[in-house]
Amino acid sequence: MIKYTIKRLLQSIVTVLIIVTIVFLLLRMLPTDYYFTEEQLMKFTEEQKNEQLLAAGLLDPIPVQLFRFYGDLLHFDLGESRRIQNGVPVEEVIGGKFAISMRLGLTSLAISLVIGVAVGILQTRHKDRLFDHIGTAYTIFVNAVPGLVSYSLVLIFGSRVLGLPSMYSSRNPGPSSILPIVCLAMTSIAYYALWTRRYMIDELNKDYIKLARVKGMSTKTIMVRHVLRNAFVPIAQYLPASMLLTIGGSLLVERFFSVPGMGPLLTDSISRYDTNIVQALVILYASLGILGVFLGDVLMMIIDPRITLASKGGSR
Amino acid sequence: MAKEPILSAKDVEIQFSLRGRKLTAIRKCSLDLYEGETLAIVGESGSGKSVFTKSFIGMLDANGSITGGSIMYEGVDISKYKTEKEWLTIRGKKIAMVMQDPMTSLNPLKKIGKQIQESIELHQGLKGEAAKKEALEMLKKVGIPDPERRYNQYPHEFSGGMRQRVVIAIAVACRPQILICDEPTTALDVTIQAQILDLVRHLQSELHMTVIYITHDLGVVANVADRVAVMYAGQIVEYGLVNEIFYDAWHPYTWALLSALPQLGVKGQELPSIEGTPPNLFNTIKGDAFAPRNKHALAIDFVKEPPFFPISETHSAKTWYLDPRAPKIEQPEAVRRLREKMRERR
Repeated sequence: MIKYTIKRLLQSIVTVLIIVTIVFLLLRMLPTDYYFTEEQLMKFTEEQKNEQLLAAGLLDPIPVQLFRFYGDLLHFDLGESRRIQNGVPVEEVIGGKFAISMRLGLTSLAISLVIGVAVGILQTRHKDRLFDHIGTAYTIFVNAVPGLVSYSLVLIFGSRVLGLPSMYSSRNPGPSSILPIVCLAMTSIAYYALWTRRYMIDELNKDYIKLARVKGMSTKTIMVRHVLRNAFVPIAQYLPASMLLTIGGSLLVERFFSVPGMGPLLTDSISRYDTNIVQALVILYASLGILGVFLGDVLMMIIDPRITLASKGGSR
Repeated sequence: MAKEPILSAKDVEIQFSLRGRKLTAIRKCSLDLYEGETLAIVGESGSGKSVFTKSFIGMLDANGSITGGSIMYEGVDISKYKTEKEWLTIRGKKIAMVMQDPMTSLNPLKKIGKQIQESIELHQGLKGEAAKKEALEMLKKVGIPDPERRYNQYPHEFSGGMRQRVVIAIAVACRPQILICDEPTTALDVTIQAQILDLVRHLQSELHMTVIYITHDLGVVANVADRVAVMYAGQIVEYGLVNEIFYDAWHPYTWALLSALPQLGVKGQELPSIEGTPPNLFNTIKGDAFAPRNKHALAIDFVKEPPFFPISETHSAKTWYLDPRAPKIEQPEAVRRLREKMRERR
């Protein structure tokens, strides 16, 4: 079990390293003009630019720059923002937004996990009856209707009928977070309900459930002790990843409610060529994703005893 | 037989609704089960042997129901049971079942011991340590060595035969009166089959159970059964003591089954098989259901359903051949050969 964990950890680290390298190399292919702020570009002559680049080591051969970059990464030095907030270290720019996105994300995740799984269980219990159909209709609605449309509906209902603030404001973070959280949760409730129902019904049709019934267990006990637990395994695998990725924020929801989170930052930094921020964000997202998958695998291994066997064969 | 049956099914009819159509899987089937005996129900796939016995513990699929007849058990007609609560008074407690495929019958994420313990806690009112002790006892009883270690293992660490032993342990943990074994050895290889049959026989005498075997393996039947009931197209067509069925069968379907025994085959010749297919149970069946596949069917077989004709006190067959008015019909050669073969062996 420990061997397997270490092996998966090393694999993850190598993957992150490869991603970091590729991102770095790709961004070096941009014209050197993008190392300057818009202001600097207007003022500087070609010579001045060259001097600056030389001084910053940006004209060194690529391998030299790459290793310097690795070195900086080890100290968590991600450089400075050049265009979004000139001269501010990247960590600081990201840090504040990160907290906002995570707060919204984790809240909505917690809500949707509770409601989604509960809805999924109820749908399974009432399979092919009214509640199940309503749940399925909801899932289809959320998936089929474009986000902007359903968010608009939430916005109109929330602000007109309930009088909730329609824009996020950092002065009033509590009430103004409600609508963004509802929008975020709306989608993931559908997602969790769908998967819970699906996996529970999968499990329900298995032979060991029949055996449990033959044993004389009541349907309710079987649901709790056998079905739900086993159905939760595949869901649990994706849980760490979806938890970590809430840090990334939602592009659409955050733009829609003008939340100053991570979502808008990524698009802004790309459109304004703030390479250090883009670099840092891509590395962050990739590491979070990989860490999530890694934690998911470890979690699976803890709850599913069969997985340790697979590692013996050296596969996976 | 003067003994009172412990379970008595009378004229049971079971229907399934499939896409708005009614399928009659069991057509007026009657069966008496006597205490302590081993009854084997044989028949081809789809003959209804599983469905019939499943109805004794209310395990029919959701679209199926008992639409007629009665099943008397302990003075109650259990065929009238509707709710799960009613069924739970006997299911797993008084009538237990062992299913076909041990590979998938256990919860892969639960410890073996816990799965047995569940059954014990449910039916014997034991809790915690006491239940665990009983579970370990059960593991030992079904012949699993090193029960302390095995208790904490998961199903994937067990072989097929071992898993079937665990499934049996779960079934008998609550000391049922009747144990239904639904093709318990089909998924196992031959050497393991014999061990499992031995185990069941052993447990049967130790725990004083009545056992129903559902099988299409006549070898198993010869090995374990006291009595045999032959099913075809949702009906029992012949029943009797095991010797009577093997050596003095009278229903043409039983003949066909026996003729197909590989032991009777002649080297170099193809084994006989039963031509045709079983009737479609969506349709109403007229006359003897086996008649269309029977080369020597009588004219009346196509018109009127035969009643049971007694052959001995314990042996009856549902065929017009036994009617005194019927033309004299000889048992086929294979059945006679079987009798001789067995005599030689003795």
